[in-house]
Amino acid sequence: MRSFCGSQAADQMKPYRIKAVIRRHFYEVMHNANHITYMVYWPIVNILVWGFFTLYLRKGDRLEPSVLSCLLGAVILWGLFNAFQRDMAVGFLEELWSRNLVSLFASPLSVSEYVTGLIIVTFGKAMIGLSVEALIAWAFYHYNLFPQLPALIPFILNLALFALTMGIVITGLIFRYTTRFQAMAWSFAGVLMPLSCVFYPLVALPSFLRPLARILPTTHSFEGMREAIASGVFSSIHFKWGLGLNLVYFVFAVVFFRWMFEASRARGLLVKME
Amino acid sequence: MLVRVEGLTKTYGKFTAVDDVSFVVKRGEIAGLVGPNGAGKTTIIHILLGLISPTAGLINLFGKDLESDRTATLQRLNFTSPYMAFPVRLTVMENLLVFAEIYNVAEPERKIDELLERFDIARLKNKPVSKLSSGETTRVGLCKAFLNDPELLLLDEPTAYLDHQAALQVREVLIDLKKRNGTTILYTSHNMLEVQRMCDRIIFLSRGRVIASGTPLEVTRSVLRENRDKPALDEVFLRLASRRPDEAVSN
Repeated sequence: MRSFCGSQAADQMKPYRIKAVIRRHFYEVMHNANHITYMVYWPIVNILVWGFFTLYLRKGDRLEPSVLSCLLGAVILWGLFNAFQRDMAVGFLEELWSRNLVSLFASPLSVSEYVTGLIIVTFGKAMIGLSVEALIAWAFYHYNLFPQLPALIPFILNLALFALTMGIVITGLIFRYTTRFQAMAWSFAGVLMPLSCVFYPLVALPSFLRPLARILPTTHSFEGMREAIASGVFSSIHFKWGLGLNLVYFVFAVVFFRWMFEASRARGLLVKME
Repeated sequence: MLVRVEGLTKTYGKFTAVDDVSFVVKRGEIAGLVGPNGAGKTTIIHILLGLISPTAGLINLFGKDLESDRTATLQRLNFTSPYMAFPVRLTVMENLLVFAEIYNVAEPERKIDELLERFDIARLKNKPVSKLSSGETTRVGLCKAFLNDPELLLLDEPTAYLDHQAALQVREVLIDLKKRNGTTILYTSHNMLEVQRMCDRIIFLSRGRVIASGTPLEVTRSVLRENRDKPALDEVFLRLASRRPDEAVSN
């Protein structure tokens, strides 16, 4: 266990091996149209649908402009969270589908290096999606995300960290239970959506669900985002809560991943995954 | 000793895939790990690569414990099997460039071109792996296995999908490599004639246990209990494959 993904492996992480993982996924994106669909097509469809909806609401003065801005901001940030979590798990599934795991893990590449490379690729892809959505929102719906960006970046980072944590958990489950868990790659973010208060404030939830919502870093990110967009003020309390929860979940996710990975090695699943 | 395996055991619940296996492979020799299906050959190779954790036993490669020095150990060896695959959308060159980077190969493109020439697949360089036949993919796997000029090469049935001509060519390359670089090779195969021609020493497994080991001639004499002057591993295979695992005849 120590040798594959433990502290010793982390000490020996080599940039060229991380670069090899980035290269492998870059080639995959260049050859596989599915990635373009995930990266660009769905974000465009998403922002167009929600954009038209906000235009409709804006026409009759049905809602305050700040609420409309919050709605578009939420669409963009949820898209980012969803893409990050999904691409992390799908990136790993690509290895599994192509039966490349044996070659990769029979090489000096460590799990830590592999996951680091995958995070960099996923972050790049999510940023492309975010930029496309932000540009469309700015060009067609006069919603400019960029002036608010400094106040939003801490919440975006918290969302990215939680998405990464979820990606690590799902990848661990796939290592241990193979493709039986692959549907989680696309659906897990959806499970969290109702409790994450993406489009409505925490007070809109029934009181018995609020404690559950409060322990999700996503809830604090979206609450913080709404405050930033509506009043232009950075909510340090939501940021700190989100970050604190994230750190706890991240530690648990890493421990869980190691446990799943070693269980997979012990059962000989690493060489049988398809 | 380049490879030292002591008391290696792997169990899955009540099933024992590898049962108290011990053997050594000396530097510069070609050792054959042979036996019928389910003998535990591939499991042993996967344990040597750290892909499966053993239930018990010691694995020492290059004088170091694999579990405590995995990265440095795997940098010095390589592996291929016709049963592994590559990302199919990537071209042959792209796949090999990824692995060249993992192994930190100097001048990767030159090295890859040289290997593609050696295995007679230079024409496939820019083809996606999805367009290759099984035999062609096997040869790409062999190119991958040679990228880092390994000191130890683990080959799991490397000629299984190759036609006679290609298999002959691969055997020549392996023997040449051993002569020129002193590469140590641990080789699994069902093809007894191939093992006989290639291997300096064989370790015969059945149902997870070593039941004979030695040079092909030693194993032939010991198992057949006749004073032969030439190895006859085909006969040995038939004899040992039907034998109970407790009837060991180890040298």
